[in-house]
Amino acid sequence: MTNQVAMITREEILARLDDPSLLLVNVMPKQTFADGHIPRSLNLPLSEVEGKARQFFTDIGREIVIYCGGPT
Amino acid sequence: MGNQAVSLLEGMGYKNIRHYIGGMADWVEEGGPVEKMDLPVADPSPRKFVRAETSKTWSWSRWLDVLANWPLDRLVSFWLGMILAFGFIYWGTGISMGWGLQAGSASVKPDFDGLLTSIYFSFVTALSIGYGDVIPVGPLRVLAIVEGATGLLIFGCLVSKLVSRRQEELTEEIHRTTFEDRLDRVRTNLHLVFSDLGAVLQLQSEQGALPGQIVRRLESTVRVFRGEMQTIHDLLYRTQVLPDEEALESLLANLAICLQSVVDLQSSQVNGQQRSVPLEAGLHAISNLANEICGECVPRTYAPAMKQWMDQIQELARKIA
Repeated sequence: MTNQVAMITREEILARLDDPSLLLVNVMPKQTFADGHIPRSLNLPLSEVEGKARQFFTDIGREIVIYCGGPT
Repeated sequence: MGNQAVSLLEGMGYKNIRHYIGGMADWVEEGGPVEKMDLPVADPSPRKFVRAETSKTWSWSRWLDVLANWPLDRLVSFWLGMILAFGFIYWGTGISMGWGLQAGSASVKPDFDGLLTSIYFSFVTALSIGYGDVIPVGPLRVLAIVEGATGLLIFGCLVSKLVSRRQEELTEEIHRTTFEDRLDRVRTNLHLVFSDLGAVLQLQSEQGALPGQIVRRLESTVRVFRGEMQTIHDLLYRTQVLPDEEALESLLANLAICLQSVVDLQSSQVNGQQRSVPLEAGLHAISNLANEICGECVPRTYAPAMKQWMDQIQELARKIA
């Protein structure tokens, strides 16, 4: 599955950690999220993405960063 | 996992999505800051874990734990049942094997009177009174000691249960009152914030730029707002006590009104006017906190009305940001 998903580097996230226009989204299960996440991230478990994304991200053009546990 | 989420979202029409491939593993490895949070879990899994561990070995303490966890009336009936059962055993062994109880110098007879005497002896033993008017003979002495020890333990559980029940009621009462006080305080403060913001808003519309004194007042208001925002955020994310819905709804409604005022204030601000650093920081914190309040992102499920309020709060937060 090759895709054209845009990437973001660790450095950029780090630099923009306090930038509210960048929305960090952790797609791990709630418990894993609670055990540790990048500060200011929201939690939207993968299983709930389809159902709840509209509620989470009201703005379709909003800058969103998705991350999970590791390089998977 | 991340990939899947990204393609799902892109399928839903989101345009500006990026994937942080490394994920938490990479983040932690390179020493990025990590935030943790305590989930107010509904299931008592930690306790269960401890119990599962102790259940491997059968020990006296575990037996006592089981006893102590029994409800009061079950404990009482078990205790009474045990005493009666022992009474019957004393009586029965007296009939069948001849080594029964002795009252004075005579053996206890295998009749109804004898049964009553046996039960009486059983009570006296279980309560560790031990008058000594009826005594066990032969192997029954061992049985009597076992009954005495068990009776003592169960009776102890019973008494401690009675005492702690009252204690628990009191603690709960105290918890509830402090909690309600806290909610009241938040509500009052939010109201003050709202009226203060309103006053500033009016001044701003009349005079354009704000004089320094007013700016400081605004800063202080925002600081209070931020504190209460944190409280509500904690309330939704961490609390073990659930406020009743009416109280929570009024809190959320007040919060939404305050946020709306902040949004109004921002939009009516004269272009080019510099906002002071503390004000900026305060608003930023408020927006961040409010951003995490929405019907689906808080760890507990609330009634639809609450969810609507929360969603509204999140939307307002994004306007501030």
